Amino acid sequence: MKLDNEVVHAAHALALWTSDVLAEINHLAGHVAELVEKNLAGRPKVDESSLLGLEALSREFLAKNSFAVGAGTFFAAQSVEAEGHIFEWWSHGKSGSSSIEKLDADLTPGSHRYYDYEKLPFFSTAASTGEQTLWGPYIDYLGFDEYIITLTAPFSIHGTFAGVAGCDILVKDLEPLIMPHLRAIPGNAAMVNASNRVIMGNSGTYLVGERIKPGYPEDQQRIDLDVPHLGLSLVYSA
Amino acid sequence: MASPSSFQSQIYRSLPEIERAEAIVDRISTAISLGLLKVGERLPAEAALSEMFGVGGATLREALTELRDRGIVETRRGRSGGSFVVKQPQTQADAMRSWFLSTSISEIRDIGDEHAAIAAATIRLACERAEAHDFERLQELARSLVLAHSPEHRASADSRFHVELAVAAQSPRLANAEIRLQQETVQQLWTPLAVAFDPETATAEHLELVRAVAQDQPEKAQELVLGHIRRNIFHLIDTKLTVGYALSNQDAQ
Repeated sequence: MKLDNEVVHAAHALALWTSDVLAEINHLAGHVAELVEKNLAGRPKVDESSLLGLEALSREFLAKNSFAVGAGTFFAAQSVEAEGHIFEWWSHGKSGSSSIEKLDADLTPGSHRYYDYEKLPFFSTAASTGEQTLWGPYIDYLGFDEYIITLTAPFSIHGTFAGVAGCDILVKDLEPLIMPHLRAIPGNAAMVNASNRVIMGNSGTYLVGERIKPGYPEDQQRIDLDVPHLGLSLVYSA
Repeated sequence: MASPSSFQSQIYRSLPEIERAEAIVDRISTAISLGLLKVGERLPAEAALSEMFGVGGATLREALTELRDRGIVETRRGRSGGSFVVKQPQTQADAMRSWFLSTSISEIRDIGDEHAAIAAATIRLACERAEAHDFERLQELARSLVLAHSPEHRASADSRFHVELAVAAQSPRLANAEIRLQQETVQQLWTPLAVAFDPETATAEHLELVRAVAQDQPEKAQELVLGHIRRNIFHLIDTKLTVGYALSNQDAQ
């Protein structure tokens, strides 16, 4: 049962890594809620003036957590003045530049470039479950426009769900962080998300972005990663 | 040494400096018509633009002057200044007409060949990789084509559907290829020059594609998407024949 020992060990390492990321995100969400509540000073709805200091939080997060390419906050329309859409998301510039830029997207409903973030699972899942979530790998078309995963945690203001805070990780940046754990498993293995999609695999058998077919290969086995609410698992075969 | 093949000469062809400003004007105008840039939006700063386009400051300024002359962008001074998109380019009917006049049937067929290759691979991957969230989104995008009220909006809705199909296929490269191919032909498809293109038929075909993807039927999906593209190409060729050869028909009669 040597294989199983190595699998258990890798599963533990992957769960630990993910939990560390989530701890940072929960921390960020807590700070965002605290800051916005302070900025609101008793007013019920978020507006431009409630956002003061959010940029600094994102920048601190990115400085501390070099695995992340972007970080910030998406607000629920119900918490925003006149049911508008507001997000404050800051990312490392494209083409490897070190500058940090504010993400811009079209928030006009009905426009053909409309970035309807409330319908994207990194938002909608956190909103409906009230728990931290992971979405991806996905192409963030019309948003960051890169192949990423997004981890978020919901936050509340005055006791009501008000949005999500979290970070983006480029799939290519994730590879060197996750791969050593997967490579320690002698057979084929992959870290798999809640919708059965490969986040990272250690061979061509399980390629990033593909969906796991049940029963293929025949000796496919699975153990859940011990990370609450994300639905992650480790799939492996000889 | 043998003379370079046409493929090699394609790789090593010289970069015409004079045409670069024009190419920038076209690129930005097309992006506005497709809704990729919208009215009121600020273009990146001049230095950033010339770096991204890989052109000198003079070429970029030439392009911006042309865009200003056409009334498409406006440059404002001061702290919150910059170049802003102020209006949609002209209906583009004239630009489309000249595209049809200058593009041969063999070139249109070849665009179709490339699009067929990209679309077939994309839809097969989408069948394997898409999930429930993607099906709902694609259905919504398919419906927005029939709800669009103008040729420009139909072009945007049509191209967004196809790009998001490649997004559901999880491939950034195929998505980029699809964006490029859409930019090349989607306006030609929807600008009513000869026979108007029917949005209901196109929407029905898009919905059928989503169904095949949702049911993970790659053979059927591929057949549908190839038929869909063939129909688009036939429409472009029909338009080409009407626009380009109407005159010679009259002469013959």
